[in-house]
Amino acid sequence: MFSQQDAKNLIDKVISYSKLPDCLVSVDWTEDASIRFAVNGITTSGYTLTQNISISSSTDDKRTGNAQVTEISDDALRRGVEQAEQMARITPPNPENMPPLPPQDYPKLANFDTYTAAARGDLLIPHVKAVIDLAKSKNLVSAGFIERTANAVAVGNKKGLFGYHTYTDAEMSHTMRNREGTSSGWAAQSSVTLKDLDGGAAARISTEKCVRGVNRKKLDAGKYTVILEPAAVGDLAGLLGFSFSARSAEQGQSWLSKKGGGTYVGEKMFPEYITLRSDPFHPKLSSTPWGSSLLPNRKMSWIENGVVKNLFYDRFWASKAGKEPTSFPTELVLEGQGNSLEDLIKSTDRALLVTRLWYIRMLQPKTSQYTGLTRDGVFLVENGKVTDPVTNFRWNESPVEVLQKTVKLGTPIRVTGGETGTQIVPPLVTAEFNMASVSDAV
Amino acid sequence: MPDAPYILTRRSFLAVTTGAAAAAAADRLFGDTNRTAAKPDPALEQLGSVALAEAKKQGATYADLRICRYRNQTSGYRLSPQRGSSVTDEVPFVNDEQSFGFGVRVIANGQWGFAASPNVTTDEIIRMTREAVGVAKANSVAQSEPLQLAPTKAYVDRWTSDFEKDPFTVSIDEKLELIHGAAVSVKKDPKVFSAFGMLRFHSEDKYFASSEGSSIQQLIVQSYPGLRATAVDVKNGLSRSRSYKVEPQSAGWEAIPKANLGENAPRIRAEVLEALAAPPVTAGKKDLVLLPSHLWLTIHESIGHSTELDRALGYEANYAGTSFLTTEKLGTFQVGSELMNIFGDRTNAGGLATVKYDDDGVLTTKFPIIEKGVFKHYQTIRDQAHIIGEKESRGCCYADSWASVPFQRMPNVWLQAGPESVSLNDLISGVEDGILIEGDGSFSIDQQRYNFQFGGDAFWEIKNGKKGGMLSRVAYQAKTTDFWHSCDGIAGPGYWQQFGAPNDGKGEPAQINAVSHGCSPGRFRQVNVLLTD
Repeated sequence: MFSQQDAKNLIDKVISYSKLPDCLVSVDWTEDASIRFAVNGITTSGYTLTQNISISSSTDDKRTGNAQVTEISDDALRRGVEQAEQMARITPPNPENMPPLPPQDYPKLANFDTYTAAARGDLLIPHVKAVIDLAKSKNLVSAGFIERTANAVAVGNKKGLFGYHTYTDAEMSHTMRNREGTSSGWAAQSSVTLKDLDGGAAARISTEKCVRGVNRKKLDAGKYTVILEPAAVGDLAGLLGFSFSARSAEQGQSWLSKKGGGTYVGEKMFPEYITLRSDPFHPKLSSTPWGSSLLPNRKMSWIENGVVKNLFYDRFWASKAGKEPTSFPTELVLEGQGNSLEDLIKSTDRALLVTRLWYIRMLQPKTSQYTGLTRDGVFLVENGKVTDPVTNFRWNESPVEVLQKTVKLGTPIRVTGGETGTQIVPPLVTAEFNMASVSDAV
Repeated sequence: MPDAPYILTRRSFLAVTTGAAAAAAADRLFGDTNRTAAKPDPALEQLGSVALAEAKKQGATYADLRICRYRNQTSGYRLSPQRGSSVTDEVPFVNDEQSFGFGVRVIANGQWGFAASPNVTTDEIIRMTREAVGVAKANSVAQSEPLQLAPTKAYVDRWTSDFEKDPFTVSIDEKLELIHGAAVSVKKDPKVFSAFGMLRFHSEDKYFASSEGSSIQQLIVQSYPGLRATAVDVKNGLSRSRSYKVEPQSAGWEAIPKANLGENAPRIRAEVLEALAAPPVTAGKKDLVLLPSHLWLTIHESIGHSTELDRALGYEANYAGTSFLTTEKLGTFQVGSELMNIFGDRTNAGGLATVKYDDDGVLTTKFPIIEKGVFKHYQTIRDQAHIIGEKESRGCCYADSWASVPFQRMPNVWLQAGPESVSLNDLISGVEDGILIEGDGSFSIDQQRYNFQFGGDAFWEIKNGKKGGMLSRVAYQAKTTDFWHSCDGIAGPGYWQQFGAPNDGKGEPAQINAVSHGCSPGRFRQVNVLLTD
C-alpha cells in the first residue's frame, strides 16, 4: 500500500515535471481479494493490485488537459505530465475551469480496518463455505461473491494542497435458488470491516426466502402498497441523490424545477418524517475526506423533515449562484423511525414485501421516472403477516413519489445496491407503487 | 495499442514522431507499431515464459499470462447556457487514459486462481504467479468439481483489427475542431438548450501466453463518435434529447468522416425541437418497425444474454441472472418466428467483439445461435463447454482488463437480413397503426430475460402505411418469446447496420464488454406500447 510518504513523494515528483501554472494529481491504489462462487462451489477468485495516477494540467487562461497512467516509473510519469500539458496548451479555454484550491483542512475519518486489509482466503472462505454448506443441507443451489478491498487515495497540486487517506471495505452477497428453478432468495452484507460480515447469518435469510418462495401466486399488475426492504430503498435513494444537481434544477431539467422557472428548494415536498442527508462521517461508510470538488467532505441535508433543503453545487455553478459549493450527494443516509422490518409487516393490512430491485433505468429525468423489476423474493403481506410468495413485477415509478407516499420507516442499515452504490437506509412502507406488468423471471 | 507518441497538433506531428519521444517509446512494451509482424514481441514472450515456468514450479496444471496496454482518448464539447442567461458557454474536454499491467491465471488442485499487478517486471510476475497458485490451492477446499478445459490448438500469432488510420495519430486539435463544428451546428438554433459532441477512441494491445504453447499478440482499435441535442420547455416543464448515434466499430479514424457529423447535426437539431413539441403516444397494442439503431439493443438484451451458457448454468445467478433458455431447450425450443436467424460471431468485420483469439487462446468463430427461430447453440468458453457435451469452446472468453478474470462474454450477436426484395418502406406500408423507432433509450429486462421494456431515441407515428409526425413518451413492454414470434418482416441486406455498445456489464467484480449487434429493420406485430411519464 502507498504510505502517506510514498503518495507525497509520487505527487511531488509528478508536480516537479510540470511546467504549466497548475498540476492536480490524484492517486488511487487498491488491493483487492475476492472469491466468486456458483453451483455450490468456488468458481473464480483473485488477488489484484491496481493503481491510477490522474494528472490534470491547467494554464492561467483556463485551458485544461487530463491524462491517466498506471505506471509509476519516472519515464511514465514524465510522459503523463507532458501529455496532459500538451493537451492543455492546445485545448481552448474552459469557461467552467475553477482556480486551483489552496491547502485544505481535510477531516480525519476512521474507516480503515487492519484485519480487513490483511484478509485473504483464510478469512474469506469460511463465509463462502457457510453459504454453500447450508445450501447443500437444504438441497438448494447457491451463487455469490465476497470481496474486501484496502485502499489508499491521495491528492495534491502546485498550490500546496495535499490529502491522503486509507480505507477498507468488505461486502458479500449471494443468491439461493431451488433445484427446480422456481424460487430464489437473496441476502447481502457490507461494511468497512470484514468482521461485520457473517456468511452463515446471511445464508439463513436467503434460505428462508427461497424455501418460502415456492408456489408463487400470480397477482395482477397494478398499484400496491409495498414494503421495500433496505436493499430496494438503497437503490431508489441513490437514484434520488443523483437528481439534486442545482444546474439541472435551475435550468428546468429536473423534478426540482418549477414550471415557469425556479426550484423547489425550501418547499415541503415530502412527509415531515423524511430526512435525507449525506454523512461521510458515518462509521459504516467507506468515505474519503474530500468529495468530487476536492473540498473537505461534510454533512449535508438534502431533504430535512420533508423540506427540500439544498441542491448540489459544484464549484463553478456555486460561484455563479453565489452559493457555497457542496459535495455530490453520496454517502446518503435516509433517517428511519426505529421500527424493525417485522414491525412494518405487522402494521400493514395488505402489501407486497419486496426484497430487492433490478435493472433500473431512467424513463424521464424531468419527472424522475424509472423502470425496473423486483427480484429474489416478493411476498404478499395480509393482516400483518407474510402469507404467499408472489411472482416478480416490472415497475414504473419515481423515487420522489415513493418517498412522498411513504407512510412508515424502519431502522437504517448499510446496503450496497445493485445500481447505485452504498447507502444507509431503512426498510419502508409506501403506497400506490406502480407494478406495471408481471415478470415470469425467478 | 502501440505506445505511440502523443500527437497533439498537426504542426507538432513531424517533430514528435521523429524526435526523442519516438526513442523513448522504443524501450516500452508494445512499442513496436509494425502491424505486419507475424509473431509476438520477443520481450513479451520472455515475460510470458517467466510466468509459465513459475506456475509449473508451484504445481499448477495450467497457466496463462496476459500483459495488456489499454488506451482511451476522449475529446469533445458541451455547449450549454450560462446560469440565468441564454448566452452559450463552450466547454471543451480532453482526456487520455492508459492502463498497463498483467494478470496471471492458473489451475492448481483443479481450481482457478488469479493474480494481477500493474508492475510489469520479472520479479513481480514471479510473485503474482505464486499468489495465483496460492489462491487456487486455498479455494480448492470449496470446489464443486475439478475444472475441465475443452481442448484447443496452440497458436503463435500476431493479429491486428482492421483499420486504415490509427486514430491516436490524428491530432487533438483536429479532433476538437471537427467535433466543435458539429456541436455548434446542433446548437445553432437558440431553441436548442444544449449540445454535446464527443469522439472516443479505444485500443487494446494484448499479449497472451499459455502453458499449452500459445503465444499471441493482438491489437484492437475502436472508434466511438456521438452527438446529442437537448431541448427544454421550461414553461410546460418538458425536456427532450435527440442523439445521432453512429455505428461504433472496430475501425480507425476513417470511421469519423464516414459518420458525416456535419450533415447529421442540423437533422438532430430540428428533430429535438420537433420531439419537444410532439404529442404523447396513445398506449395500447401497436405494430412496431424498429430500425437497426434501436433493434440492436433489443437483440442484445433478449437474445444475446439469454444464450450465454454461464447464465443458463447458474454461474451468474447472483448478479446478471440466469436464463429462460435452460439447457433442455437446446436444439428444440422455438424462440421466435422462422424469419429469425441469429449468429454469434467474433470474426465479422467491424464488430466490437471481433478478435482472432479469445482470452482462453481459442481461435474465434461464427456459429448459429437461432436458426429459423429455433435455439441452436449457446455462447461457450473452455471450462464450461463440456457441461453441455460440447467438444470445443466457441471462443467467447474475455476479460476487460489485465486486472480482471477472463470469463464468458458475449460475441457479436447479429440478426440475418431478410430477403433482398424487402425494403424499409415495405415494412412501414404494411402497418395500419404503429410506431417507427430509431435509436436506443431506456432499457430494462429481468434477470431471466423474459420481461423487457424499451424506450428509444425518436419515435414516429405510422398510420395507414405512412410515416407521420414524431411522438413522445413511448416505451414498449413484451415477453421475449412473444416479441420474437410477432416478427413478420425483416428488411433486406442493404439495410443491415451494426450498432453496439462499449460497456455491457456482467460478472463480479463487474466487468464491461464491447459488443456489436448487426441487423436490418424489423417489424413486430401488436406489441404493448406504454405512455411513460
